Amino acid sequence: MTTIRPFTCEDMLYFNTVNLDPLTETYGLSFYTQYLAHWPEYFQVAESPSGEIMGYIMGKAEGHGENWHGHVTALSVNPDYRRLGIAATLMNILEEVSEKKKAYFVDLFVRVSNKVAINMYKNLGYIVYRTVLEYYSGDPDEDAYDMRKACSRDINKKSVVPLTHPVRPEEVD
Amino acid sequence: MAVRPQHTHNGGIVERRLRPIYDWLDNGNNKKALQEAEKVLKKSPTLQAARALKALAMFRLGKGPEAHAVLQALADEKPSDDTTLQAMTILYRESQQFNKVCELYEAAVKAEPTSEELHSHLFMSYVRVGDYRAQQRSAMALYKIAPKNPYYFWVVMSVVLQAKTAEDDTKKGILLSLAQRMVDNFISDNKMEAEQEARLYIMILELQEKWEDILNFIESPLYSQCVPGSTAQACIPYLKKLGQWSRLNLLCKDLLWDNQDRWDYYLPYFDSVFQLMKNECEGDSHADDTAEKCHEFICQLVESMSSGRTLRGPYLARLELWKRLSVDGDPTSLLGSGVALCIQYLRVFANKSCAVPDLKPYLAMIPQKEREDSCRDFLTCLGFDENSEPETLDDIQRHISCLCARRLTAAPGAPAEQLATAGALRRQYLRCVARRLLTATQTEYCAADGYGTLAAHYYCSAAVQQRSAAPVLQALALLELVLHHSPANVHVKLLMISLYHMLGNAIAAESIYVRLEPKHIQLVSLGWVHAARCAPALAPARALRLLADAHAFHKHYAKESVEHLTYAYKYGTFEKLLELGAWGARLGACAWCALAGRERALLPLLAGPPAPLHAPARLPHPPVDNRDLNAIISWEPAQCADPDLKERTFDQDVAYLRLKDGLVSSIALCIECSDNRSVAEKRAQLDELRACVDAFACAMDKCRDKYGAARRELCISAPFPSRIIAFVSSPVPYRDLYSSVLTMVCELCGGEGVRGRESAERLRALLVSSRQQLEAPATSPWALRESLEAFSNYLEFIGVITFLLGVCNELSTPTNTKKSKKKASQSPDQILTTEMLSKLNDEVQDTISFLEDIFEKWPTYDYGFNIEDELAKLDITDKYHCPVEQKLKNGLQEVLADVKNILKKKSKYLKTLQ
Repeated sequence: MTTIRPFTCEDMLYFNTVNLDPLTETYGLSFYTQYLAHWPEYFQVAESPSGEIMGYIMGKAEGHGENWHGHVTALSVNPDYRRLGIAATLMNILEEVSEKKKAYFVDLFVRVSNKVAINMYKNLGYIVYRTVLEYYSGDPDEDAYDMRKACSRDINKKSVVPLTHPVRPEEVD
Repeated sequence: MAVRPQHTHNGGIVERRLRPIYDWLDNGNNKKALQEAEKVLKKSPTLQAARALKALAMFRLGKGPEAHAVLQALADEKPSDDTTLQAMTILYRESQQFNKVCELYEAAVKAEPTSEELHSHLFMSYVRVGDYRAQQRSAMALYKIAPKNPYYFWVVMSVVLQAKTAEDDTKKGILLSLAQRMVDNFISDNKMEAEQEARLYIMILELQEKWEDILNFIESPLYSQCVPGSTAQACIPYLKKLGQWSRLNLLCKDLLWDNQDRWDYYLPYFDSVFQLMKNECEGDSHADDTAEKCHEFICQLVESMSSGRTLRGPYLARLELWKRLSVDGDPTSLLGSGVALCIQYLRVFANKSCAVPDLKPYLAMIPQKEREDSCRDFLTCLGFDENSEPETLDDIQRHISCLCARRLTAAPGAPAEQLATAGALRRQYLRCVARRLLTATQTEYCAADGYGTLAAHYYCSAAVQQRSAAPVLQALALLELVLHHSPANVHVKLLMISLYHMLGNAIAAESIYVRLEPKHIQLVSLGWVHAARCAPALAPARALRLLADAHAFHKHYAKESVEHLTYAYKYGTFEKLLELGAWGARLGACAWCALAGRERALLPLLAGPPAPLHAPARLPHPPVDNRDLNAIISWEPAQCADPDLKERTFDQDVAYLRLKDGLVSSIALCIECSDNRSVAEKRAQLDELRACVDAFACAMDKCRDKYGAARRELCISAPFPSRIIAFVSSPVPYRDLYSSVLTMVCELCGGEGVRGRESAERLRALLVSSRQQLEAPATSPWALRESLEAFSNYLEFIGVITFLLGVCNELSTPTNTKKSKKKASQSPDQILTTEMLSKLNDEVQDTISFLEDIFEKWPTYDYGFNIEDELAKLDITDKYHCPVEQKLKNGLQEVLADVKNILKKKSKYLKTLQ
């Protein structure tokens, strides 16, 4: 039971139960406002009937030529509203926006330890395109999977042929 | 911010020379940058870019006047190369001189009238100062040079903004029709192409309330070309505006068939049904115009769901229908009782943790008697009762949902009953520990955590009713154990912060707060949870640290927010432009940040070394509430709901903010008036100070009448009673203490020795009696919070009076002459004043000794409780030591030690004044 609507600045005051989750980063304000100013259609929130923020997705479109793609910057769901398909709904929206923008694929980064998320993305049709070594800083640093799903424009699914070797963060464009 | 321009044109030698300066500036090594700039200038002394960068480095090194001299000389030369202009822009921005940037680019475009880049910088410079007319002019000039769509819409948006801020309606109308005509022309030339352009057009039509035109536009091929695939959804608000209920009804039904879980489609659907019910003439046989048809539709949706995946939408829709029908009628004949519907919902979704939060608004709609009578049915509807011992995770969640639903429906009950329920819930949690039913991970909660959070609510209600700390201790012991096993659980952490503060222990609360790692905007929305509670818990140093974080965030954002508007133009997101503007204003007027500014000025008088007072920015008009009061999970029954909580506590907090603002302003004026100018020269400030003190006294009287008897009940999930209540209702006469000390300084600064001494004498008497008026320290841990708050108010006064005695001392020894010399040169009047101040100083020192004695003999509290005994009875191998008692003891000890240390320093300082 969900209202899907564009994320607004004021939502930042009320996303605490989503963002206090240990793996969800709260960024500086300008990070959010830049996304809002640049890619508002990629920044959507799922709201419960009582007005609580159940989750949100933020993303962007970037790249040149056949690398033109949608990117998931953050996807987070309030722990009380998990296993309701909210993440899938939000991912769907981002994919639709990417289709409209004629992107070749959608990609995202996820901690290799985040089994729940990785499985969910796999169920949504994403594949592990490559491993990015020590992408997440911390103690110790953690690798990321760069996961991808092709859009309809990539007829031959060239964008989702997995790389055989891992890459360093600085090699990721 | 990186200084280096993104595109450098003259790539060659100049760029190479400047590169090291950029590197040092970007790395924050301004000294090296300055040296490097001087080196370049030796070779080419007129190079404008190097001079601009030199000025920037100097400014960042704190050499403001020199930097601006260089900058002004450069500005007079009217530079027009991008590198120089960008460096100068940065400096002007950092020194908040946005108007200068406009002048800079106005001169630059005169020199190079065909440069697209310079014109676009000029436009952005007007955006930063909010000059919409100038924006319009410069965007038009830009469009003439480079006829690109975005520039055209910059013009349009600038006209819209003028309309929005226009004061009279005629002017507004003219501007809006101009904006509309501009876009209409663009459309007829087939030039519109982007989604945001279409949205701006809708915005213009909306401001003119041309709903019909909007609808026609949305249904045009142009709209679906610009904004593909969203026509149906976009129509909804305008069909509502136009009252086209049948169309709206059919449209929403279509949307719902494909999206059975979208609440944003159900709500307009219900709106249409209820309008059609009222309005029988509008006949469209396919539209649902009766409650029966509406119910039938919802039932069809329920039945249409595949068995694999049950969605909450259609089930909640039925409850919504029930709720709307019950406003002025009886829905039972159609839908059965509200209780039955809620129970039905619970039966389907109880295994989800959102089930009861979903039900909350509907449970509150059921009449209280009916709700209370059926509370047991909520518990037992899935075959559970208090003593069930579910073994699977799904069943544990179901059991917890039923228990929560019962809590929300049952009458609150006597403390003994609440404690029994809490105890039962605790046993449930411990059972799950023993049976290894805990499954929490780094990011996932564990179903059984719900036993703990619910138990905490019962414990807390019992504690509040009994005015006893024992149940809070039980709750904390249990929650510490839950957190030990489920480290990600945010509800548990927030509840614990609240509970530790309930016992007056800011240090223990901090041990949990740091695990939440709140930052940036959360320092604002969650400031009330912890940061605001530290000062009244007598932890001023800790409070100052947290307030400094909030203040730094606020200051940083104030500088940045105007840049966000330029992004919105850059990317043509016109809708977001208004939103970003409103957001900037909202944060700028944040009441909590304003209070943080005042506290940061006042608390150092107590907790810091005597230092110049930070004068905070002006009080916002009106201050804005940015608190997230729904952060802490609440299982309070509907009848305990406090609908005015947000408004009431905010009103109180603002009143407190105004009092503190009055104090800061008065103290700042005392400092200003204490310099060695003649009395005539400082007359205006002295008058202002007197007016400020009078206003403060008057406000204290009003606040005592208004808030002195305000409610002080504690609730686990809500802010504690505002600080204003204890401040104005205290037996210690803070109104008179503060006004006397401020008046005394005012008189002495104004050379009115006799009147100054009278104030000092009055103050001395007040101080003596205030020691007797102070309440004795709490003898029970429950009363500790209020007791510490009372002492924190008193100590803050001690901080202020100590500081002001220092100010008076400066007044009688304006230069650093030796003591003996000074005494020799004192007039008889000054000698009398010095003597009087010394007597007052003695009195303050006596008061400090009196306080030291109190803190030395502060009672110790017995924090006995029994979770470890119960844990020991269980068959658990891993050792767990409950940290609550130690945290509470250490926390209190730390606070007392800090306070004693502060008092010692104050006493020492006062002695140096004699």
